Amino acid sequence: VNVGDMNLVALLPEGVVALGAMLAVAADLAGPKTRRASLPALVACVSCLAALLLLLRPPAGAAVAGHFVDDGFSRFVRLLAAGGGLLLSGLSAAYTRRMDRGHGEFYGMLLLALAGVMLVAGVADLMSLFVSLELVTVTSYVLAAFKRNEATSTEAGLKYLVVGAVSSAVLLFGIALAYGATGTVDFAALSRHVAGRGFSPLLSLGTVLVFGGLFFKCAAVPFQVWAPDVYQGSPTPVTAFLSSLSKSAGVVLLLRLVAVLVVPAMGAEGAGTWAAILAVAAGVTLLYGNLGAIPQRDVKRLLAYSSIGHAGYLLLGLAAVAASADRSVQEAAASAVLVYLLAYYLTTVTAFAVVACVSAEGRGHDVEASYEGLSRRSPFLAFAMLLALLSLAGVPPMAGLIGKLLVFYAVVRAAEAHPALYVAAFVGAAGVVVSLYYYLLLIRRMYVGTPPQGASRVPVPWPARAVIAVGIVSMLAIGVYWGPVQEAATKAARALFATVVP
Amino acid sequence: VNLLLAILLFPAAGAAALFLVPSGNAKVARAVAFVATLGSLVLAVALTLGFSTTDAPTEAAGTHVYKHVISVPWVESLGLQFKLGVDGIGVAMVLLTAITIFTGVIVSFSVTDRAKEYYVSLLALVTGVFGVFTALDLFFYYFFYELAVIPMFLLIGCWGSTTRTMNRDYASMKLVLMLTTGAVLALVGLLAVYAQGPRTFDMVAIERYVGSVGYSRGFQMVWFPAVFLGFAALVPMWPLHSWSPGGHAAAPAAVSMLHAGVLMKLGAYGILRVAVTYMPDAAAVYLPWVAVLCCMNIVYGGLVAMAQRDMKFVVGYSSSSHMGYVLLGIATANLVGVEGAVLLMFAHGLMTALAFSLIGWFYDQTHTRMLDDLGGLMKRLPFVGTCFVLMTMASAGLPGFANFVSELLVIVGAWAQGMWLPAILATWGIVITGVYLLRTVKSAFFGAMPSRWEGLRDARTPLERLPYALLVAILLLVGFWPQPMMDVIRQGAEPLVESMQAAQRRAGMAVPAPLEAAKPSEAGAR
Repeated sequence: VNVGDMNLVALLPEGVVALGAMLAVAADLAGPKTRRASLPALVACVSCLAALLLLLRPPAGAAVAGHFVDDGFSRFVRLLAAGGGLLLSGLSAAYTRRMDRGHGEFYGMLLLALAGVMLVAGVADLMSLFVSLELVTVTSYVLAAFKRNEATSTEAGLKYLVVGAVSSAVLLFGIALAYGATGTVDFAALSRHVAGRGFSPLLSLGTVLVFGGLFFKCAAVPFQVWAPDVYQGSPTPVTAFLSSLSKSAGVVLLLRLVAVLVVPAMGAEGAGTWAAILAVAAGVTLLYGNLGAIPQRDVKRLLAYSSIGHAGYLLLGLAAVAASADRSVQEAAASAVLVYLLAYYLTTVTAFAVVACVSAEGRGHDVEASYEGLSRRSPFLAFAMLLALLSLAGVPPMAGLIGKLLVFYAVVRAAEAHPALYVAAFVGAAGVVVSLYYYLLLIRRMYVGTPPQGASRVPVPWPARAVIAVGIVSMLAIGVYWGPVQEAATKAARALFATVVP
Repeated sequence: VNLLLAILLFPAAGAAALFLVPSGNAKVARAVAFVATLGSLVLAVALTLGFSTTDAPTEAAGTHVYKHVISVPWVESLGLQFKLGVDGIGVAMVLLTAITIFTGVIVSFSVTDRAKEYYVSLLALVTGVFGVFTALDLFFYYFFYELAVIPMFLLIGCWGSTTRTMNRDYASMKLVLMLTTGAVLALVGLLAVYAQGPRTFDMVAIERYVGSVGYSRGFQMVWFPAVFLGFAALVPMWPLHSWSPGGHAAAPAAVSMLHAGVLMKLGAYGILRVAVTYMPDAAAVYLPWVAVLCCMNIVYGGLVAMAQRDMKFVVGYSSSSHMGYVLLGIATANLVGVEGAVLLMFAHGLMTALAFSLIGWFYDQTHTRMLDDLGGLMKRLPFVGTCFVLMTMASAGLPGFANFVSELLVIVGAWAQGMWLPAILATWGIVITGVYLLRTVKSAFFGAMPSRWEGLRDARTPLERLPYALLVAILLLVGFWPQPMMDVIRQGAEPLVESMQAAQRRAGMAVPAPLEAAKPSEAGAR
């Protein structure tokens, strides 16, 4: 490998974020004592901003001897990730100011995880896929258990570790089988292989296992059991990370794999099986998540189940990619998934920012104790939560509606080839109604109930206020006028399929 | 400036402006809502009066002309635009909405708890309703449709009432979930209409496509039920009606007015504008069945209303009974019937708005709507009582009110179409209406008055009387002189009926000769 092939400049944004991680730790260790809490947060925000700016340059093509690729698709996803990282850093700043130590580690880990998510966007072979994903996963273990004095947080970290380790093993085993079946881990070579020879049983098994490992990241059935406990126990900014960036890592990789493995084999016999697998997983996941959320009394568990439900909608979009041989439908479906991810990022971060503020009072995450009558004591927070919940439910004029609408649109178009997808569309529609039910229950608590005795206005630290304001404005803006976002997503989707063997 | 855009923007701007009003300042919030809805009303009246002569931009699909068209490209890759425009049916509905919300805001002056939030929700709701009646783009149609449903949850949940007969938590949740179920069902259908048709959300372009190429018969037979049922849940068609009376009972007065007066019309409007317009061949097959189902609305709804002791439930079930006539009118698929249906949507909207606003007047003071607790209220409430009696006469289809004209048209239309049984049952339904409403009037307003109602206050100031007087006046005006309104409605109904009848001929069904000689509208005037 010669140095010219490395083209490391393509990975500069990740480098900046990783450097930020080191600096955050250093700032905590060596910085002035009075600034220990704020300096690492500042470093995190600045490095996310720097990464965002670096990502505005044109894509640089293959990098690291072809193990990574800096194409339009990875640009879009990395921009999302860097933007999400910025919001999460702001949200964390509102949270970590109450910690007495460990700021450096917290932001260091958060930035490393973010670098992992950004790397995931551009992987070009199965090995770099595994390594990038592990970077996200391992740092998440630490983050989930960050409140090490609290039993719930330790439990969350441990559960996440056990389930995560198993799913990493499954993923790795799948990669090994795929390698054994094809003799390559390179996406382009794999793509040519399936285009020529289709799926051998061994490769099919390997692909299923890889998908399984990624389902864990997305919190999709049957690898979703960890989500409620881990979401509940983790520090709130970490929960926000798990449900947004970490989930998107899995979704983005699934999208990439569907594009390089499933799409080239579209003409072959049994190609519809992949669409069927994804559609069934999507239907079961969204029903599981939305039905499971109904009895929840802890707001973080509720949002955990809701995030499982959203994984279902994202998988529905993936199923549409896998179902249709029409490139325009595939692009529509892939861009729908990307827009959905963006809307979902903004919405979850807003929701968890509210949760972080409310739980800082020390009343916990119980909906009855903390959210009853919230609108009477903190109208701003209640309104932000109202909009976030409506966006999650997919109600106009919020961004969530656009994501859902585009996914449904892609599914209905793909259903021309596979009429069974109409069933999936109706299941998805039923999921919308179910989800609206439990979101409305929470909204009713906030707006109809009376606040508990002695509860007063919830203090909102300025970073949280800023994150919430950005969230509200962008949710509304995208909900009403999303043309530019969709255009960018369509371009990204086109780049994703540009390299695929027809 | 486009008239429709201005009508839509008044409440939207009002809602936005309310965010700037400090909480707890009910007076300013009221004033903002009053001005916003008054603006819409003035423009809506101007729209109606000038509709036939306007020179605003038009766009046509075949003979179907939409006026006041404005279109702004929105998301070009999807063929999506922000497009507004109305035909005669839309004009009638916009006017109905403007009158109902204006009177509703005045009636709401008694709301003091979180007035700002109340009016924000109310104005958001009405923005959605105006949007549905004027949108000419399927995406925005759905957008506004859902926008109209969600605020109902907060309005009923926060400002509604829990009584012996209905719990507001239960009612608000049921209402929103059933309506959203209908909406998403219709949404999947709309997406299929989009994907399998000319790949545009432009409703006029789809209509042109339907007129030239058309959806395949198989497509229509599968998707008509999905779209129709999605909207029929909102009408509400029996057996999907159960959210409605409970929702009325739990809602505050102005919300009941909007709910019965306007929201239910969204469903009937969707059936006309989307289901029937895009899939006329399936409509020809399915609508006779709808004529059967809507008899259940008329008769069953009426009989259930007879058994109610809560006045809001009486009017609530009577509403779903009357919406049966609207469905019957649509199902006739002839000009007389469809015109009657649309005029009834208008007349019934005003009539129920009047009913709920009057009930709200004394409920605010008595905190009961149970007929057993009331009695002899006429002594203390002569003005409100008189209006209530007039409302009863309108509802029971007495000549002189707009309801008489429209119900007559529906029944004549059904008869002409050979729907003998529905026509007979619908006539009988008028008798049922008379029975339960007269009983209601008798036990609430006449007879001995319990002494605890001695202190009741009648509507005295001009502002207090304005909403009731306005509603009664319009009902009488349209009742005595229906022709101008009929002409406006005919502009939209005629092309629709032509396409329905063409589909009937394609299906080999008998199409009756037009009922020109009858001119029942003039008969109503006499």
